[in-house]
Amino acid sequence: MSGYWIGLITILSINVIFAYGIFLAVATGQLNLGGAGFQALGAYAAAYLAMEMDQPLVVTIAAGMIVAGVIGFAISFPILRLKGVYLVLGTFAFAEVVAGLILNSDALGGATGLPVPTFIDWDVPAIAAIVVALLVFWLMSTRFGLVVRSVHDDEVVADLMGVNVRMVRVCAFALGAALAGLSGALYAHAFSFVEIQVFNASLSIYVLLYVLLGGAQTAWGPLFGAAFFTLLPEALRDTLPALKEAVFGTLGIEGASNPPDESWRFVILGVATVLMMIFRPEGLITRTLVERLRPLNRAPRRAPAEAAE
Amino acid sequence: MTQPLLKVDNLSKSFGGLAVISEVSFEVPAGGRLALIGPNGAGKTTMFNLLTGVYRQDVGTVTLDGEVIDAYPSRARIGLGMARSFQNIRLMPHLSVVENVMLGQQSRAKGWRDFISPVTAFGRSAAYREAEDLLAAMNIETRPGDVVATLPYGIRKKIEVVRALAAKPKLLLLDEPAAGLNAVETASLRDFLLQIADTGVTLLVVEHDMSLVRSLCTSTVVLNFGRKIYDGPVSKVHEDPQVLEAYLGPRHAGEKEPAHV
Amino acid sequence: MLLLQQIANGLMLGSVYVTVAVAFTLTISILNFLNFTIPTLFMLAGMVGWSLAFWGLPFGLSGPLPWPLALAGGVVVAVIASLIVERFTFRYLKTRYGDSTEHAIPLVSSLGFLLILENLVRIEHGSDAQRFPGPSADLTLSLAGIHLRLPQVVSLVVVVFLVLGLVWMMKSSRIGRMLRAIAENPDAAGILGIETRRVVPIVFMLTGMLCGLAGALFAVNYGEVSPQMGEDIGSKAIAGMVVGGLGSLWGAVAGGVIIGLIEMMTIHWAGADTVQATVWGALLITLLLRPQGLFGHHAIGKGKL
Repeated sequence: MSGYWIGLITILSINVIFAYGIFLAVATGQLNLGGAGFQALGAYAAAYLAMEMDQPLVVTIAAGMIVAGVIGFAISFPILRLKGVYLVLGTFAFAEVVAGLILNSDALGGATGLPVPTFIDWDVPAIAAIVVALLVFWLMSTRFGLVVRSVHDDEVVADLMGVNVRMVRVCAFALGAALAGLSGALYAHAFSFVEIQVFNASLSIYVLLYVLLGGAQTAWGPLFGAAFFTLLPEALRDTLPALKEAVFGTLGIEGASNPPDESWRFVILGVATVLMMIFRPEGLITRTLVERLRPLNRAPRRAPAEAAE
Repeated sequence: MTQPLLKVDNLSKSFGGLAVISEVSFEVPAGGRLALIGPNGAGKTTMFNLLTGVYRQDVGTVTLDGEVIDAYPSRARIGLGMARSFQNIRLMPHLSVVENVMLGQQSRAKGWRDFISPVTAFGRSAAYREAEDLLAAMNIETRPGDVVATLPYGIRKKIEVVRALAAKPKLLLLDEPAAGLNAVETASLRDFLLQIADTGVTLLVVEHDMSLVRSLCTSTVVLNFGRKIYDGPVSKVHEDPQVLEAYLGPRHAGEKEPAHV
Repeated sequence: MLLLQQIANGLMLGSVYVTVAVAFTLTISILNFLNFTIPTLFMLAGMVGWSLAFWGLPFGLSGPLPWPLALAGGVVVAVIASLIVERFTFRYLKTRYGDSTEHAIPLVSSLGFLLILENLVRIEHGSDAQRFPGPSADLTLSLAGIHLRLPQVVSLVVVVFLVLGLVWMMKSSRIGRMLRAIAENPDAAGILGIETRRVVPIVFMLTGMLCGLAGALFAVNYGEVSPQMGEDIGSKAIAGMVVGGLGSLWGAVAGGVIIGLIEMMTIHWAGADTVQATVWGALLITLLLRPQGLFGHHAIGKGKL
């Protein structure tokens, strides 16, 4: 397999896990705009344990999950008391504080970053991604998943039905944080280096957007969202030169100074977001869509009284 | 005399100086069918919110099946045996019919193992089948996988009641179940509710439609401006001068009450 | 003396933050919309201003423009961009189900626009910072031993007048009354005969003007613009808005100034690297301990926060 595809699978796997991490919070109705913070926690926990304390892979990756999950759990209690706009800002602020603290921590490499021994190949993230996806599918099919979706739709009624809305939100958020941490730990080992500049506000924005694009009603959404975002440059590779010419031609701009091709990907993500929010804010994959594609939507059950007639 | 299933004792509630419920007391016997009626603004939905714990009363106690329930938060009351439906249908729009009903089972779910076993996917779990059976027993004709948002109004009303039934309540609180239904649908609803009452569930119904009240309920409590002005059989309510005055105004005290109040 | 100088610098910096914070708080209090495009509009004004001053108009219509004209052009572009954002985000808010995430539809759209605008600028001009050819003479006033550069003083004065003007407008003018009615209860406002669809764009126009002006002031004061300038200012402005209190104009003023001061103090005592953590830390602590900030109202967003 060529190096390019290996890299792509690695990134895709990491993005899928990251997406599921954000998905769990969004599924209960909490927009988590601090994803990069939890990913950074996982990445740096793994990096530090690997680099400074010579821990084996299993330990560092588990630690990445646990550190992010525990901190997510702790911060969720105060943060989830906030509502709406405040909640989004709170998660955003949290990620910035994490980044700021790491930036100023010499033990964690500060602005220079940390190298990470123990390289992992594409198979580890890929397997992890598959396991995580199966885990989330299973989770959403349980009573916990039912309750998560109820809390999203109508928390007042969910409460009256006996659901502990608070705990559901906290658990979903914390579990999501742990998954984001896992994606960070895998990133650290797959790229052999962590620097805090990577885990920035833009990263939090990208992951939230592609989770919302894919759809937060079912566990299929994050898969599609992560795939769209990750494979977009690949799809663009053939069409980008033509696209560039078209856009520049229309705008009549001359002397475009070496546009970084990366940027087109984000423009498209932005356009897709705006369009999606206008036409289909629930995202691409909705509950109704899944139901319609399901082969076994059975005929209505006849009541015993009617059958006897 | 056996104790009543629901005992409301001297309940009062004010919002910022405005008394919405004042010293209201009444009882509902087990197996009974009581209508809570009154002009708009009389405090009926507030009473439901007090009973379910959404609001906390200022004065008074609520006793369910012999136990004072005031200390229980709203989340816990459905587990005590009291379930409700809502005036504006509040089903979860993105859940299927069966999943909505399964939400009603939530208060009966015991322990973490119940929580993490699959209920909605591959292979039908016991909870799923139970919800399906309940829907069938209530003659709800839909495909179980239908997402709720696509269904007609009358059916959604019934599904909401079935959701409340899934909690296996002793007492069912129904908030204007006939609102928005025509005569045919209301008759169907009446049969539906009588079927439920036959299984032993006690009904407490807020309603405006007097024909439904008369054909469904045996006794009624009338509220006006938060106070109880009548507590007795449905058959006699139209004779009571205070009730007539409340609905029709002082000059009409001698007239017959209207069909729809 | 050095401390006073730092305070003075902090106030100057704060005035830029105030302008952007006011834009944020106006949009949130009237429309319940956290508009993430705002920092991008700020950057757009600065970058377009630079582009006009450096290259001139597109399609080769002119040579490099004199800097005041260039900056005015930047402000105009910011306003137009803001109106485009209104057309494609806020217009489309549909509350169908009343669930937990519906309020955020415009917020998410604004994130989309942030990506579009920021990256289009990067594509066009690259990621580097550019020197802005501002006023050539380096005019400095000396007041009791503190040095104040003329552009900074002008900025401060402009911002003060701007805020006073806005406060007056919101309190006393017909438009202000309409905007406050919409903020109070958008449904009732419609019944009262306020044409929401015509009035809402005014908010976006104000937003564009405020951000454009802030961008222009920044370019003149610091002589430098870059595609990244929005992120930095945005975070400080948001922090200022929250600390001062969401929904309060004076809160935005107080908050912007406070953040400017905090930033200066932090740089002075702990170095530039800690600014990010400190400012966002202040925001986080405010949210957790006193979400309504110093002057904010507790219920933002018409009952559905």
